[in-house]
Parts: sequence; structure tokens; C-alpha cells
Amino acid sequence: MKEGAGGLEEAVGWILLGGVLLSCALLAAGLVWQHMVVPGTPLADPLAGTTAFRLAVADLRQLATGTLGPRLLVNLGLAVLLATPYLRVVASMLYFAFAAHDTKYALFTAFVLVTLTYSLFLR
Amino acid sequence: MSFGTLFGVSVVAGLVGAMSGMGGGVVLIPVLTALGLDIKRAIAVSIVSVIATSSGAASAYVRDRITNLRVGMFLEMFTILGALTGATITVASGRRLLFVLFGVILLVSWAALWFQRGRPWAPPAAPDRLSRWLELRGSYDDHVLGRRVDYVATHAALGGVLMFGAGLVAGLLGIGAGALKVLIHDLVMGLPPKVSTTTSNLIIGVTALAGTSVYLAAGLVDAGLAAPVIVGIVVGAFLGTRLLVRLSNEAVRRVFLVVLVVLALEMIARGLGGSVG
Repeated sequence: MKEGAGGLEEAVGWILLGGVLLSCALLAAGLVWQHMVVPGTPLADPLAGTTAFRLAVADLRQLATGTLGPRLLVNLGLAVLLATPYLRVVASMLYFAFAAHDTKYALFTAFVLVTLTYSLFLR
Repeated sequence: MSFGTLFGVSVVAGLVGAMSGMGGGVVLIPVLTALGLDIKRAIAVSIVSVIATSSGAASAYVRDRITNLRVGMFLEMFTILGALTGATITVASGRRLLFVLFGVILLVSWAALWFQRGRPWAPPAAPDRLSRWLELRGSYDDHVLGRRVDYVATHAALGGVLMFGAGLVAGLLGIGAGALKVLIHDLVMGLPPKVSTTTSNLIIGVTALAGTSVYLAAGLVDAGLAAPVIVGIVVGAFLGTRLLVRLSNEAVRRVFLVVLVVLALEMIARGLGGSVG
């Protein structure tokens, strides 16, 4: 590692930890809420042929209307989980491009980001 | 399947996965299919949970400066392409073939893990030209050895090609395929075991995300099913890691490794003639 990469390591570490904790908290809250409404019955929430971006946009739109419920919490938890490694790649690319001025690794991470973005729009 | 069953099975899968070093997916998929869940849906749920367990584990290692981010960033170019290919194959595959493949790859991963047990690290004599250009080197503080360990990686091109294969297996079967990734890091690229394991954890999250996107598009992910599995497997992995530190016993690990062989053989038998749901 070059000198100064410690900042990236801190950022990546906290993005991963924060993402997993927030995701699990949302999922657990949704499950507990569902259990309180209909005890013992699992939440039926098949995501028929959607994409990660559509899922996130639908969740945020529903959140904006104020219709909070178990299903929305679970879907938000899932969207946060999917966004966690994605944000880690975004942070890495920004670091290599603008902080480390390392063109080689900025291009590598850009390739990963473009491929992931394409796959997350995939239908 | 009731919420309690799903949660309980996932806690056990996370625990056994962490204690055996093989990851939760290798336990989760055989058990979920045995409980009647379609194997493609089980694979889809498992790969989503892999994002959670690998990201959780990677977060600590990255902040401890053991993970080599450059090695990770370089190799994940290959693993995500492999995962997209593997998941696409699964969506189109017959179910019996998936059972057999799962069992066979579980046995291979198991052998890889067994082979690496207690093997001393042999640093490569000199890195090749590509690895030097890629600056695949680093150092970390080894608390057991009580000193700083410097290392260089080599055979970047071969490592990349093989990592495509590891990514393919991950996407195909909804598992982290960490044992295969660590084997490539160790044997082909000459990374120290601690760097291998931690860098593998980092790569697994992004690789699983690529695979998840295909299963999501195919309509195989059920958020209601995934939620208790993700929470359960994270709880199980957390407990497993804590227990492992306390027990620190090779015999315990052997018991779990035997369980995994039984699961692998059971999956092959079901694929060859048993019930596949």
C-alpha cells in the first residue's frame, strides 16, 4: 500500500460496517413488526424480476409518502445491503482518482463500478 | 416455511460456516432444499446473505490494515465477470445438475481448505513483471509473530484468470467460494495466509452483489424469505467467530468439516436420483 491509503481503509471499513448494521437493523425491525401483526407468519415479498435500482427507488418513493410498514422496512434493509459493496467501490474509485492520483487503479475500480452498475440495471 | 425455522436454520448455518471456515452458504443451501425450498431460490437467498457476512467480516480486517486493497481491486474485476456468468448459467440450468455441482464443488472447496491447514507460508522468490507494474505488495503487523511482515504478490495474470473461475463458482452456487479464492491467493500469488483470507473477504461482497443482480432480475429473490436468513446468518457468524476464539480447538473444526462432507455427498446423491423438490 502506498502512504496515505490508510484513509481509504478507514472509509471502506466504516462503509462496510455501517451498511451491514443498518441493513440488519432495518430487516430485524421489519420482521419484528410483521411478527407483531401476524405472529409466526413469514412475510411474503417476492421481488418479481426487478433491479436493485428499481427496488431502491420504489422504497424511497414509498418512504416519502409516509406509508411505513414491515414490507417497506425489509425492502429498505435489502436495498441498503445491496448498496453497501457498491458504495465501497465508489469510495475506492474516488480515492484512487482524486486522492491518490493513481490512474491505473482508478481505471480498474471504474471498470468494476461500470460492470456492477450495468448488472444492477439488468432485467 | 415458518419464520422460526428459517431464522434457526440460518443461525446454525452462520455458526457452522464461521467455525469451519467455509461460509454459511454451504450449509444453508443443502438445509433449505431439504426443507422443500427450490434450489434456485435457495441459491438466490444464500448469495444475498453472503454480501452481509463477507462485508461484516471484511470491515474489521480492512480497518486493521491487513487486507490488501490493491490486490482486491485488481482481482474483483475478474470475479464479478465470473459471478455474472455463473449466475446466468444457474438461472438456465436444470435443478439436478445444480445439486451435483454443489456437492462436487463443496468437496473440492473442502479439500482446498484441508490442504491449506497449517501449511507454512512460502513467499515467492520474485514478482513477475505484471505484478510489479500492478504494485501488488504490502505489509501488515502480525500480532502473533510480533513483527511487521512485508510481502509481494506474483503471477497476477494467472491469478486473475483463476479468480474468474472462483467468481463463476460463487455466482453459480450462491456461496462465497472463499476457500477457492484463498487457495489461489496462497498457492498462485504467494500472499501470506492472513492477507489471503482478509482480501478474499473483501472480494466476496462485490462478487456476491454481481451474482445477486442476476437472481434479482430473474425474480428468484424473495425479500420476505431473505430477511430472516440474512439476520440469522449474521447472528450465527458473529457467534461462531466468538466461539472459535474461545475454543481454538482443531478437533472442533474437524467435526464441522466432517458435517460438510456429509452435506456434499447428500447433495450429490439427491442430484443423481433423489428428491430435488
